Amino acid sequence: MLSALFFLALSVFAALGGSEESVISDQAKLQASRKTVPQQGYRVHEISRGDGTLVKEYVSLEGKVFGVSWKGPTLPDLSQLLGSNFAEFQSSVHPHAGRRKATVVHNNNLMVESTGHTRAFQGRAYLKSLLPPGVTQEVVQ
Amino acid sequence: MKRGLVAATVVLMVVSLAACGGGSGSASATTSAAPPPVNNVQPVIVDAGPLVNGQPVGDEDILFTTVTVCIPGTGTCQSIDHIAVDTGSTGLRILASQLTLSLPISTNATGPIGNCIQYADNTYQWGPVAKADVKMAGEVASAVPIQVVGAANFPDPPEDCTAGGTAAQTVSDLGANGILGVGLFRQDCGLACASTASPPAIYFSCPSSGCSITSVSLTEQLQNPVWMFPQDNNGLVIILPQIAASGAISVSGSMLFGIGTQSNNTLGSAQAQASDGFGNFTTTFNGTKYSSSFIDSGSNALFFLDSATTGLPDCSPRSEAPGFYCPASTTNFTAINSGPNPNGSATPVSVNIAFSIANAVSLSSLNSAFNNVGGENSGAFDWGLPFFYGRSVFIGIEGQSSAAGKGPYWAY
Repeated sequence: MLSALFFLALSVFAALGGSEESVISDQAKLQASRKTVPQQGYRVHEISRGDGTLVKEYVSLEGKVFGVSWKGPTLPDLSQLLGSNFAEFQSSVHPHAGRRKATVVHNNNLMVESTGHTRAFQGRAYLKSLLPPGVTQEVVQ
Repeated sequence: MKRGLVAATVVLMVVSLAACGGGSGSASATTSAAPPPVNNVQPVIVDAGPLVNGQPVGDEDILFTTVTVCIPGTGTCQSIDHIAVDTGSTGLRILASQLTLSLPISTNATGPIGNCIQYADNTYQWGPVAKADVKMAGEVASAVPIQVVGAANFPDPPEDCTAGGTAAQTVSDLGANGILGVGLFRQDCGLACASTASPPAIYFSCPSSGCSITSVSLTEQLQNPVWMFPQDNNGLVIILPQIAASGAISVSGSMLFGIGTQSNNTLGSAQAQASDGFGNFTTTFNGTKYSSSFIDSGSNALFFLDSATTGLPDCSPRSEAPGFYCPASTTNFTAINSGPNPNGSATPVSVNIAFSIANAVSLSSLNSAFNNVGGENSGAFDWGLPFFYGRSVFIGIEGQSSAAGKGPYWAY
C-alpha cells in the first residue's frame, strides 16, 4: 500500500494501453496519493486527490493498463488518462448527442463512457483487446 | 432528424425585451417587510436556436429564454435571447461575443478570478467571473456573480480547466448565446470550492503570471440567480405542454419562480423527491437501480444505459443522428424514480415514469422538439428535455424551504 505525494511532473507516458509506469506519471499529473489493490488476475492503482477525485487504473499481471475509471467534482485530464487512444476518443464523440452531459464511445476495441455534471462526474474507459484472461469489463468501475 | 440543411421554415422569434429602466440594485437593504408580489412568469421556448449567418445552430430539444443583465445598480442593461435553460448546472454563463456591457470583473488579492465549467463530453467553458444584476420576468437578483465565457483580454484557460478537452465558447459550438444554470444548488461548486485545503479546478486566481486553482467564498461563486431574488426564491417550476409523437416545430412554455409563493406556483399533486448532495437520485429500470441519475433540461434527449441493456439499436455513425437510438419501431418503457421525502418523512417517494423512444433518424428534420428521442449514457439515466413535456417540473433549491420541505429536491 504505497501512499505518496508527487509534485514533479515525471515523463509522460500513455495511460490506457500503456505500461504500469504510466500510472506514476498520472499520479504526478494529478498531484495525488496512490495505493495499490491486488485482485485476482490484475491489480488496481487507486489515485485519490483531496478534492474528492478518484482515478482507478486497472493493470494486468503483465503490467499493461487495460482500463481506467474516474469519479469526482471535475473531469480528470482525459488526454492523459486515455493516452494514445485520446485522438480516437475525440473523433468518435457525437457532437450533437448528449452534448455536454453524456458521451459514449463503443468502438471495436476502445470503449469510453463519460457521464455527469459539475460536482459529480464519473466515467470509465477500457480496451477490449487488453482485458486479461478471465477478467471482464465489469471490473472497470 | 438533424436540421442543418433546413432553413426555409425558420421562424425568427421576436422576443419581447424586458425594459431596462429603473436600475433597481440593492440600495434599500434596511427594510425587512415582504416585498410586493411581482410577475414571476418567465417565457421559455424550444426552437431551432440562435442564428449564425442566417442559419439556426441549436440542437433539437434545447430550451431557451431571454435574460436581461445590467451593470450592477444601474439602468445600463442588455437583453440576450437564446440563453439555454439548464437544470443540470448552476449559474449564468454568457458568451463574451454576445455581451456588449462592460461588467465589473471579480477579483481576489492576486488578480481577477477565472471560472471553469467542464462537461462530460470533454468540452469546457472558461472566463472571468463578473457581477451583473440579473432580471427575469419581474424578478431582479442584484450583483450576481456570472461567468463571461471566452472573454478577450483574459488569460488562456489553464491545463486544469481544459483537461485535454475542447472549448465550447462560440454560438455555433454552444448552440446558444449562453447558459442559465437553474439547478438544485445555490452555487456552481459550493463548500468544496470555499475550502482552502484542496479545492477542485473550478475557480482560479489569474495574476499576470498565469492562472492557478484557488478557493472562493460561497458568496463570490457563480450563483443560481433564483435564490438571490428578494422573493419567489425557494425554487422554480418549468412547465411545458405535451407535444405530438412526431414532434413540434417549436414549443412555448413557462418558467415560474418560487414554489408555493404565489397562486400560480403551488405544488398541487406533484410528488417531491430529495436528491443526494451531488444532485443525483435513483432510477430503477428492469429491476436494476441506477443511483447516479439526474434530471437535466440541458440534455437534448433521454440518455440512458446502452444498446446492450435497453435492446435499442444505435443509429448508424453515418446516419443523420449518430449517438441516438434508432429502434425499428417506437418502443415503450417504464422506469421508477425514487428518493427520500424532502419533508423528512421516513418513507421514500417513488414515481413511475412512462416514456417512448422513437427512431431518431425517422423523425422530421423540420421539428425542433421531440418527446421520444433517446441515446446511450452508460450506467445512469439522464432525464433530458423530453422528460419535461407535459409536466410541471419543480426544482427545490438547496437550503430553501417550501411546503414540500427543504431543497435540494425535484417534484413533478
